[in-house]
Amino acid sequence: MKKKFLTLISLLMVSVMLFAACSPTKPAEDQKTEVADDKSGEVKEETKEEPKEEPKEEKKKTEDEAKLNFEGRTLNVVATSESYVPLFEKFTEKTGAKVEFLSMSSGEVLSRVKAEGGKPMADLWFGGGLDAFIQAKNDDLLEAYKSPNAEDIDAKFKDADGYWYSKGITVVGLLVNNDVLEEKGLEAPKGWKDLADPKYKDEVIMSSPAISGTNYAALKGWLDLWGEEEGWKFFTELNENITAYGKRGKDPFEKTIAKEFAIGIIPADKSAHDAMKEENVTLIFPEEGIPWVPEGVAIFKGSDNVDIASAFIDFMYEPESQKMIAEIDGKDTNQLVKPGAEGFDLGLDPSKLIDEDLSTFGSAREAILEKFQSIAGDK
Amino acid sequence: MKISKHRENINRFYNVLDVLLIIIVAVSVILFILYPMWMVMVKSVNIDGIYSLDIYKNLIKNSTKLITNSLMVAISTTVLTTVMTVIISVYASLTKKWVGRLINLTLMLTMISPPFVTSLSYITLFGKRGFITHDILGLTLNTYGFYGIVLMQSLGFISLSSILLIGIIKSLNSDTIQSARDLGADTGSIIFDIIIPMIRPGILVVAVLAFVRSLADFSTPAIIGGSYNTLAAESYFSVIAYSNLNRAAAINTLIFIPALIGFLIFRHYMNRLPMMGGSTTGSDGLNLPRSGKIYRIFGVLTILFLFILIMQYGSIFLSAITKKTRGVMYFTLENIVESKNHINTTIFRSIGYSLIAAIGGTTIGYLLSYYREIRKVRLMKVIDFIATMPYIIPGTFFGLGYILAFNDYPLPLTGTATIVILNVLFKQLPFSTKIADSTIKQIRPESIDSCKDLGGHEMNVLKDIMIPSSKPGFFLSFINNFTATMTTVGSIIFLVYPGQKLATLIMFDVIQSGKYRIGAVIACLLILVVMLFNISFYLLFLSDKKKTKQSSN
Repeated sequence: MKKKFLTLISLLMVSVMLFAACSPTKPAEDQKTEVADDKSGEVKEETKEEPKEEPKEEKKKTEDEAKLNFEGRTLNVVATSESYVPLFEKFTEKTGAKVEFLSMSSGEVLSRVKAEGGKPMADLWFGGGLDAFIQAKNDDLLEAYKSPNAEDIDAKFKDADGYWYSKGITVVGLLVNNDVLEEKGLEAPKGWKDLADPKYKDEVIMSSPAISGTNYAALKGWLDLWGEEEGWKFFTELNENITAYGKRGKDPFEKTIAKEFAIGIIPADKSAHDAMKEENVTLIFPEEGIPWVPEGVAIFKGSDNVDIASAFIDFMYEPESQKMIAEIDGKDTNQLVKPGAEGFDLGLDPSKLIDEDLSTFGSAREAILEKFQSIAGDK
Repeated sequence: MKISKHRENINRFYNVLDVLLIIIVAVSVILFILYPMWMVMVKSVNIDGIYSLDIYKNLIKNSTKLITNSLMVAISTTVLTTVMTVIISVYASLTKKWVGRLINLTLMLTMISPPFVTSLSYITLFGKRGFITHDILGLTLNTYGFYGIVLMQSLGFISLSSILLIGIIKSLNSDTIQSARDLGADTGSIIFDIIIPMIRPGILVVAVLAFVRSLADFSTPAIIGGSYNTLAAESYFSVIAYSNLNRAAAINTLIFIPALIGFLIFRHYMNRLPMMGGSTTGSDGLNLPRSGKIYRIFGVLTILFLFILIMQYGSIFLSAITKKTRGVMYFTLENIVESKNHINTTIFRSIGYSLIAAIGGTTIGYLLSYYREIRKVRLMKVIDFIATMPYIIPGTFFGLGYILAFNDYPLPLTGTATIVILNVLFKQLPFSTKIADSTIKQIRPESIDSCKDLGGHEMNVLKDIMIPSSKPGFFLSFINNFTATMTTVGSIIFLVYPGQKLATLIMFDVIQSGKYRIGAVIACLLILVVMLFNISFYLLFLSDKKKTKQSSN
């Protein structure tokens, strides 16, 4: 009996598989078609038109209408990490739209969308270094939207045509492991230039700027701070102290915590603040200046839910949401781009932020990475 | 008359089924393995619509070091994995029954290696300031580079291959061994002169799987490779850093060449090996004196390896139940409580996908092996060759290949759950077919002949001889596929849509947010789920096996 049963099961499985492979309607797609059906064309059209020209009153009305329509629909988001869940929940509470997200690095996002021939893998892209967003815009992968709530945002924090916005800025800091410094009899570095000191040889970890937006921002920041010549000179010296460049964005953080290295170049975010409480590590802001990078937010071109994604951008710039983002990311007021938004008081001196040239942030990437490669070699 | 009419009907049904099965196996392998890989290769020569070999020219000129690095690592990992696997499985088969069981249990637990978490635990143990290397041995070693990659890859491969080999040793014909013993041979020479030659096909399977897996592994070199780069890591790098799909595609095509050669060598030897006339009577274990230098050396090495494994997994478990304040550790359940917010129903989706992939993959693997080995269907040789390929290319790329292939007409599958399941299923197919091969090779040709002499249809051979006698292999293939699907990240991150996440991706999410301890909890949960499923499946088979044994006695 059992033998027969087994045979039957095996055969059944094969046939089920075959059917599964042939029938294109899968649960996931059912959901999608459903979504497409109960979306009212009216709302979609209204949001797709240049909303900037509409009077503010009418825009409000559209939003209220849209609010009702989002019930039962889902906004798909690619985020940098899962820490934004509370913010997404708040959005659901306000608009009725469910939010599903997936964590992916910006490089992976770009590759995936390219491989899919521009077919959007989600509706909204939330967070990640600005360079990737600029590239995506150039590759025609993004949808333009002019948010009324972004009118007072400084021009450098949003794309002039509305292809991307910044949800805040990431500042670059140093995470030092006090145990390792103690073991080696070293003191903590105060600024960037200290890192190039031979006494820190093999104790500094940095991710490849080709992979990590944060580490690219650091490199770009040094060039903007000291100028090309001095900046590259510093990097060449620093390169001597680095055994290998991390191949994952999280590498400097994880390996400094694990005592593999004394000093890691990291984004000074919530996880760094948490780590300070849990581990014997300290977050240091280098004295010469703090490099920073705007964190992008954009709508994918061809998304089914452009209206919800647009509403999310409006929502993101509301004072309450800004406060929430500050809380989630552990951001200082100076790391928020919305004028008047409240944040944490981390004592980040705004005058310490390097005067970066954002206009070349994307365009200079290729040349900078090439030069980086020529200095770093195979490391 | 009535009976023969009935027979005829059955035979007619079997004939149709037979052809249908061949078509299903062949078409599915071509469609879900060859086609996506073909698309990858096309991508490597088609740059924005223009065909050119420039990328290859550049790669070959500038990447000789990458190629030699990859080969060095793959060969070393293969040697280390194979030697350790033989030692552990021989020892586990010879030692006292309860020790053998304990070894088996540890191997089964550690067969599951949740990505990221295991590599981080490796660093906590063997890193520059790792617990074992630094705190116990007082060394500050630079574990990054060649040795780190080889050690960690082997550590990750050995558990599964040992389970495989133990299964094969169990089914050895004990008569030969017994007669050698009667002639006064000591344990050491029996091991080297009889057991190891007898399990040679199994050893070859272990070696070739280690070789191709090592070539395709990108995450180990990415995490502990330091400045030691390999082809697989470089292709991953091309994808995530430069989103240069063409270059990544070319590198992956390059990885094929050594993998292909390795596989051809394997096939050559595999075909020359005599069938092992194995009867499954020896399942009560090999009854050899537990003495001799060789036996003791094997014992020490096995225990050392198990110790390392236990430390590694112990540190994951420890991270799950502890927290730190300013570097001082304390025990807590907070991580577990907090992880509840992250997991929710995803775990059930993971289990569902894994079950389908495990049963479907194992079935296809066995059918393929059956048609090739027993029925000698010519076409199946080619199909089997194609079916080995998914192990050769890095998971990320198998995922991208699926996007390239199923993004558009005629099979627009991207965004569905089907594509994710198909991807994990076919990714593990090489393992299923190799396991099937090694178990099918043990079926005595006489039993097949006698079945046919008795008027049995070819399908009776499949149903009544092959399926019952390959249960241990079926079980192993099932648990491998199930486990691999539960823990996979690389190939599916490009296929999954935000609403259809699996448990491993959630683990990836939390680790990405810097919450390693929550990641450890999810890893433990994954291990637990996989263990539960493995054990219940094992029991299902074990009880069945006992019955057949009794009836045959």
